[in-house]
Amino acid sequence: MVRVAVTGLGPVSSIGIGVSAFAEGLRTGRSGISAITSFDPTGFPHQNAGEVQDFKPAEYLRQLDPSRWGRSSQFAASAARLALADSGLDLSQVDPSRAHAVIGTTSGESQVAEALTAQLVNGGFESQDPALLRQLSANRLANAVSEELGLQGESLTIATACSASNYAIGYGYDLLITGEADVVFTGGADSVCRWAHAGFFRLGALTGTACAPFDRDRSGILTGEGGAVLMLETFEHAQARGARIYAELLGYGLNCDANHPVSPDQASITECMRLAHRNAGIEPEEVDYISAHGTGTVANDLIEGRAILEVFGSNPPPVSSIKSMIGHTMGAACGFGAIAAVTAIDQGFLPPTMNWVNPDPELTGIDPVPNEARPARVRVAQNDGFAFGGNNAIVILGAVA
Amino acid sequence: MSEVVITGWSALTSAGIGADALAEHLAGVDHGSTRASSGVAVSQLYEEPLPSPTGHALADFNARAELGRKGTSSFDRTTALAVVCCQEALRSAALELDDSSRTRVGVALGTSLGSFKSTSDYSRETLVQDKPYLVNPVLFPNSVMNCAAGQVAIRFGLRGVNATIAGGTLAFLNAVRYACNTLDRGYADVMLAGAVEEYTPHRAWASHLTGATAAVAAGEAAGVFVLSRPAPIDMSTGNEARIMSVSTGFGPGGEEQAEQALAGCVQRAVRQAGIDPADIETVLTGEAEDSEDREYGPVARALGHRPRRVLAKRLLGECDAASGAVALAVFLAPRTSDSSVRSGLGLITGRGPDGAVGAAIVRG
Repeated sequence: MVRVAVTGLGPVSSIGIGVSAFAEGLRTGRSGISAITSFDPTGFPHQNAGEVQDFKPAEYLRQLDPSRWGRSSQFAASAARLALADSGLDLSQVDPSRAHAVIGTTSGESQVAEALTAQLVNGGFESQDPALLRQLSANRLANAVSEELGLQGESLTIATACSASNYAIGYGYDLLITGEADVVFTGGADSVCRWAHAGFFRLGALTGTACAPFDRDRSGILTGEGGAVLMLETFEHAQARGARIYAELLGYGLNCDANHPVSPDQASITECMRLAHRNAGIEPEEVDYISAHGTGTVANDLIEGRAILEVFGSNPPPVSSIKSMIGHTMGAACGFGAIAAVTAIDQGFLPPTMNWVNPDPELTGIDPVPNEARPARVRVAQNDGFAFGGNNAIVILGAVA
Repeated sequence: MSEVVITGWSALTSAGIGADALAEHLAGVDHGSTRASSGVAVSQLYEEPLPSPTGHALADFNARAELGRKGTSSFDRTTALAVVCCQEALRSAALELDDSSRTRVGVALGTSLGSFKSTSDYSRETLVQDKPYLVNPVLFPNSVMNCAAGQVAIRFGLRGVNATIAGGTLAFLNAVRYACNTLDRGYADVMLAGAVEEYTPHRAWASHLTGATAAVAAGEAAGVFVLSRPAPIDMSTGNEARIMSVSTGFGPGGEEQAEQALAGCVQRAVRQAGIDPADIETVLTGEAEDSEDREYGPVARALGHRPRRVLAKRLLGECDAASGAVALAVFLAPRTSDSSVRSGLGLITGRGPDGAVGAAIVRG
């Protein structure tokens, strides 16, 4: 039976770039939230987001010319480059046709779409820059990873909104399990953009300065961005090269609410958790930590918390949301959540839910690991992802037994 | 991957809604013609200017007429095309759904970036309104790429794996590959695999300005194929269409690397299908002109012969993400005359501008 190993981590986040900085950020509860600079927020009531303000793609990219690729593609390719370096793999020793890129996203090259929109508002359709139009198609996120690392296997961009990187990690798992792959670079990327900021505000789902998941008075998300890539390989492949194995990818579950475009569905999310456990071959009581979707909206956290109580009983494992530190990074969110879960397993601590003040009386029993990281032995971790379109995706990770 | 059976399908093209409309259109086409079809008059479709007076749009398409008013008022064109196409494909497959089977039916839908018009219009509002946040919250999901697949799930109660695959010109082959894996792994029993692309001023201008439609007109289409694993004991007549294999890859650097990667995909697909490459009689490529060789060249070298080539986009326009779906629909469309391009085995190929490539072997 093939087992899937996580052997490289590449976070490009607002609380740190690279696995050491990111893990330190999680451990110390760092905030990646700052005043928006990637667009002019004048006129918006809320003007903060989790931007990766010190991102300099040229420091990471060796093949891609940043001027030819949008910001999300740059995030994806940089994160993949970092994951490769972290893994210690010599890629020249791998058959490139068995090395794949699978990247999730919500809005692809959203900043490119906005720049083109500004051009057509100002000068009509014919004034759009053809070079920018060539950067628009969302498949370029995975293509950027393939191009940067010289991978000849599948180059797949999965656009299932805010659970997309769990879909991507799941598909990467399948590529290894079915013998199609030796190595898969998988995760997600997205960029902060003006239209999402406006849309979430109008949905009443955007908060001002601090995202406070599972807090009684939580008031919404902060938009965020970045790239999060995990390098996966089979145990056999990892062990043959003497690689450090962070964690084992045990399996995943997907389903669809088929109910409402934006409101989550508790019964469906409950079923998705059970599907993930079944596919991963674990029982709920084996889960030591849940890296929550935890957006910080009233509805999400209530539904997610209740689903957890339904599946795990009145005394569920600790549940924390790293969105309290980096904001909602959309298509990259589950990738960051997975890296946090792997870090919890590898380094023996639970990332905290920051900004938490008051327990929610409707979520009695949910332990959000408030405000300070907590030492813990994590053998199995669950990484939740839910999305517009009812696209639920949950990944299960385990310590190497 | 193992082969999958196509138990039903539909396509929305400039020929109209459904397989019969497509078949009728193809029967009337002069396949010997050297001129690409310019499509239909499109000037009345939008208030905004268009780069060309004609295109391969579904000029009379009316989502409400097909679906009714309920739940459709927020649909953008991409979503409407996808939902109607899935409705027709499900009808064609005569799939009987109940509450338990619905959790085992999924969707894998290919796209370029969802509806560029919906996204851009939403972004536009933040620039032109008195306050940048005066956008319509009801339309926010339309700006996200998985809107169409999510609405398909809602409309038909499909609660299984629901995936949106952003693949550009490879989108359909990527979606089929994703769907086949989902079936292979036992995550679902039935997958609706397809792709959609809309005709809007945004897309028409993007195609025009990047030169993508220099040889053929911009177009729109949706194609959806209902896939399942063959029964353990094959009770079928052997007549149903199948996707025997699909393989996708990437050629870093594009150019020769991409040609080699495409040839590699064809060889893998042939190997997986367990067929003799000499038996492939038809190749449907994403090329726009007979003089082009960026797909057909490496494909013919990989196959060791030069099968008949069909350029679906000369008949039905540049449909980007839906190109592969249109090609499969053209291959499978019922024939009444000797103009048939359908034969025993077909090969559908795609090649993107950055080096993405793919190939699928299908049996008619």
